[in-house]
Amino acid sequence: MTGLCRIYSLLLYAYPRDFRRAYGRDMQQLFRDRCREVGRAAGWQPVLRFAAHVAHDLFTTSTRERAAAIWSAARKSPRRGFISEWSVTILMYLFAATTLVQAYVVPTGSMEGTIRVGDHMLVDRVSYANPGLVGRHILPYREVRRGDLVVFRYPEDIRQNYVKRVIGLPGDRIRLENKQVIRNGSRLVEPYTQHITSYIDVYRDDFPQPPEFYTTPRGRDMLARHVENGEVVVPADALFVLGDNRDNSADSRYWGFVPRSYVIGEPLLVYWSYDAPTADLEEWSVDHLVDVAEHFFTRTRWERTLLVPRSQAAREMGGAR
Amino acid sequence: MAKPQSPEELQPLTPPVFHILMALADGERHGYGIMQDVARQTGGALQLGPGTLYGCLKRMLSARLVEESDERPDPALDDERRRYYRITPLGDRAVRAEARRMADAVSAAIGKRLLDRRNAGFSGGKA
Repeated sequence: MTGLCRIYSLLLYAYPRDFRRAYGRDMQQLFRDRCREVGRAAGWQPVLRFAAHVAHDLFTTSTRERAAAIWSAARKSPRRGFISEWSVTILMYLFAATTLVQAYVVPTGSMEGTIRVGDHMLVDRVSYANPGLVGRHILPYREVRRGDLVVFRYPEDIRQNYVKRVIGLPGDRIRLENKQVIRNGSRLVEPYTQHITSYIDVYRDDFPQPPEFYTTPRGRDMLARHVENGEVVVPADALFVLGDNRDNSADSRYWGFVPRSYVIGEPLLVYWSYDAPTADLEEWSVDHLVDVAEHFFTRTRWERTLLVPRSQAAREMGGAR
Repeated sequence: MAKPQSPEELQPLTPPVFHILMALADGERHGYGIMQDVARQTGGALQLGPGTLYGCLKRMLSARLVEESDERPDPALDDERRRYYRITPLGDRAVRAEARRMADAVSAAIGKRLLDRRNAGFSGGKA
């Protein structure tokens, strides 16, 4: 019970400082008295009902008191009180926002067809984050699956984030034949891909091959150490990813596997899609701001607003060997 | 907060405020005592959480409906000091006015045969 009271005393930080100072001690007293009362009752039901009630009370009234504090601070001293009260609130929400989701802009067209250049999206950081033993049961954690869209650190330069589709999990054998992916001996039917060229590029479309000009050191390492019988074999704790715009995508074919720990999350939703050139999206510039101000309404792709990019599993045809 | 002059200006009172005033009508109480009395008045239907109770008390203090009495332990509970609250003359007038308003509403409902006159309980749906 003392543990519960300590947790409650921490939760009181959801209330504005003045309110907490005035009533925090009394609220803890009341909480402890109620705990005793509920503890005397038999069974789990009253305890659960009490917990739900207190959580609801805390959430609604702390929001209300914060709004009231902001309101009265704004009326009393328009400058300092207002800013300090808002900043606490904004900091709290920012903390939650940066822990759970992350904003990400797509600068290149390698996923064109599914995700477009200029899509601004929120990335769910919780689902794929390794939560440890306890969190596994509380958080909505799940393993990466084939066909999932993932946002990850680009292995050749971890300051950049990339988004691609997962094709191979550890142990999978991958090759491409005539632009078609063959995974573990089955031809994949991938309705989400697009091909913008009709000619066959030997390296790109009949993979794996000896390294070519665009193959990076990590890609060369993959080709040297993880090819067996003309197929790439995905090692433990790694993913093989490809872009949906298959003919114009720098992906695992060129720079190797994505270590599992580099995965940031799953695209959650596109909150704004703006038609802008790659260079403007990669680096911040005044010109881009002016461009957005000028063309916000015409170049925003309204039909993509609040769009949820879907993970989609490929159908396996079988009999490729 | 603007200081209301007459109890009518405060109407209608929210259910928590009304029941807190009723809890204090027959003597001063501390927070937990108010909460228990409100639960008794409403047959357990209205359980005031800590945030709801002290949020209301804060607003009622600034509207001068209640005032702080003193801090002393409750011999029935433990030896911790508790803050007691008591109703003000304005609070007393406000809760009476609200009760009268509700009584008027109840007799109007009886007139429309929405309520049974004898026990003023729910008539069971069929009028």
